[in-house]
Amino acid sequence: MIRINKKIFRSSLLTVCFVLTAAIALIMGLLFHFFEKRIQTELVNEAGFLAQAVENEGIRYFDGFDGKDSKFTRNNRITWIGKNGKVLFDSRADVSGLDNHADRDEIKEAMKNGKGMSTRYSKTLTEKTVNYAIRLSDGSILRVSTEQYTVITILMGMLQPVLLIMFAALILTLVLSARVSKAIIEPVNRLDLEVPENNDIYEELTPLLRKIADQKETIEEQLADARKKQNEFNLITENMSEGFLIIDADANLLTCNSAALNLLGIVPPSDRSVLMFCRAKEFREVISDVLSGIRAENTMVRDEHSYSLIASPVFEKEAVIGAVVVILDITEREKRDTLRQEFMANVSHELKTPLTSISGFAELMKTGEVPESDVIDFSKSIYDEAQRLITLVNDIIKISELDGQSIPFEKEMVDLYELSSEIIELLKKEADKKNITFYLAGGKAEIMGVRKILEEMLYNLCDNAIKYNKENGMVDVLVNQTEDGVNVIVRDTGTGIGTAHQDRVFERFYRVDKSHSRKEGGTGLGLAIVKHGAMYHHAKISLESTVDVGTAITITFANMH
Amino acid sequence: MRNNFDRQLSQLNTELVTMGALCEEAITNAVKYLTDNDENSKIMCLDADTQIDKKERDIETLCLKLILQQQPVAKDLRAVSAALKMISDMERIGDQASDIVEIAPYVAKKGTLGETHIREMAEAAIKMVSESIESFVKMNLDIAYMVIEHDNIVDDLFDKVKWELIKSITESLDDAEALMDLLMIAKYFERIGDHAENIAGWVIYSITGMHQKISEKPLGKEE
Repeated sequence: MIRINKKIFRSSLLTVCFVLTAAIALIMGLLFHFFEKRIQTELVNEAGFLAQAVENEGIRYFDGFDGKDSKFTRNNRITWIGKNGKVLFDSRADVSGLDNHADRDEIKEAMKNGKGMSTRYSKTLTEKTVNYAIRLSDGSILRVSTEQYTVITILMGMLQPVLLIMFAALILTLVLSARVSKAIIEPVNRLDLEVPENNDIYEELTPLLRKIADQKETIEEQLADARKKQNEFNLITENMSEGFLIIDADANLLTCNSAALNLLGIVPPSDRSVLMFCRAKEFREVISDVLSGIRAENTMVRDEHSYSLIASPVFEKEAVIGAVVVILDITEREKRDTLRQEFMANVSHELKTPLTSISGFAELMKTGEVPESDVIDFSKSIYDEAQRLITLVNDIIKISELDGQSIPFEKEMVDLYELSSEIIELLKKEADKKNITFYLAGGKAEIMGVRKILEEMLYNLCDNAIKYNKENGMVDVLVNQTEDGVNVIVRDTGTGIGTAHQDRVFERFYRVDKSHSRKEGGTGLGLAIVKHGAMYHHAKISLESTVDVGTAITITFANMH
Repeated sequence: MRNNFDRQLSQLNTELVTMGALCEEAITNAVKYLTDNDENSKIMCLDADTQIDKKERDIETLCLKLILQQQPVAKDLRAVSAALKMISDMERIGDQASDIVEIAPYVAKKGTLGETHIREMAEAAIKMVSESIESFVKMNLDIAYMVIEHDNIVDDLFDKVKWELIKSITESLDDAEALMDLLMIAKYFERIGDHAENIAGWVIYSITGMHQKISEKPLGKEE
């Protein structure tokens, strides 16, 4: 890129130099010629005048010539040459030292034509001598010579002033070009490119400005378009709960949404390799697979959360230029899966146990070798196990009804205090077996609910309180109406539930002590029914329990009014 | 040209992180094999060690290429030379993890493990390796210093394990051979801790230009 200042400077300097040279050449050519003419005329005149004098006076005329004072111009050299070419007189030199002049051009010419002229250059070419010879009447020749500077000498003499002028011109052009370029450029720099059409400086710039205006418009349109697309993209990705990453072929992070930031702990802005943020084996494998052009899926565990990774490569001209990685938090799903698996296992186990007994007794009886007395016992066992199965299936039906939430049960006003006393009466026999005492406290507490479900709930709570109680224990049932609703508290003095199990006892078939399930009976669905019943009534359950001290379960029914 | 250099540097970083991750994997699996006797972890540990050895050669080549072709200076030169030092420590970690896996079957008696502090030692060593890699990834001085502090814990635990083993042997000579192998494993963990400490030291060096062990020497007084 050349600077405009330099360009102006260069061309003006070139112009100055050219003009100067041309001027010198012209002046020199014209003037030199003119001066030469004058000198020659003078020479002819002088020679003529001298010839007259010599004709009249002969050699005596030169007596007065001593080289210093003279009637004539001292600059000119006067030589008188005899007919034979021998020098008779010379105003500058001793006659005896001079050789014969007959062969000189001007002498020869003069002898022939009466007058002759010649020009001789010195060896260095710095001087030239102009000679004019005239033939006198006696045949002798009178020659007048004058020295003249050559063009070169004059030029040499002029060198200093010319250089001075050149130098001055240089400085002048320097200053001038700087000023001119500044003057030209300044308004250009002051151009308001926001509105290029509004500028009014140089007419020559108008097409350029128009072009700029056009381009500006195009750029703005494209920018707005890109911004809109970016916004749409951000809107979509930011509202995803899934982590979303785009990486380039070197696994450097190009863009990601805030969910991905949270999942991987990336500090924005970052263009570093994604492996810097997560270097789990599964993640690395997914990234290396996807960058080799294969769609990859995997799950990884990080900070006690499970994530599913799905990565798709991005191709351009059949080469992988990057990849899109989606990260899903599947912790909840995994948890649900485990729960379902456990539930299935539990259900099959619970169903299988009584069936195995039934099948075992029946097999024995089939052989016909069982004594009559034992048949009754066996039948009783088969009956008991069948009853157990029925209860279990009933419970499962109940809970799935509650699960569905679609049961068309009629809601009515139910007095929970009254309901509790009925249930306690029902369980009296069971309680007596363990010598457990029931205490019912509180008063009338009505809520809007489904009688059948509430009965189930209270029954299961009280039943558990007996089952998991110690001999001679106590069960307190407290029903009271508060401003916010109705509280039902069932407290026992039983084995209690360890902290580790407290969250899980409401799960179906969950048992704190699996080995006890047979001894205590029950289906393992009791508390699950309570939980679902409470959910149906929008009630809250809280559990307080200490191992070997007892458990208190509180159900709070919010006031509907 | 410069662009290429930056790309190579970032590639070096990624490779180092990957190698570090492989180290974590190797030692985690070695510990898993030691405690749970899970055959799968043994295979994974040995596989990680093979990959670590390959990575070491790759990174070494990359580093030399960087030095020869780009002639890095100042911070970049420190990063490259630190990388060269770090990979040899990482490689040793991988080797020791596979050594642990090799002698683990001889100490597999469940009882012997439970009575000692070897589990704590294993956990502490894993933590040190993880954090040393973390300090490199985040170029975080605090974490690096923490790793160096942490080495004392591992050293103390080694002493503890040593005395526990001495006590067991004096009580009964029945398991003496297995207990001696256990001591070897404890030593490996202790060495792994040292290597992790070295890695942290090189991280500090590449950030600050000062290396603890170098500056302790009288030569360092020139600064």
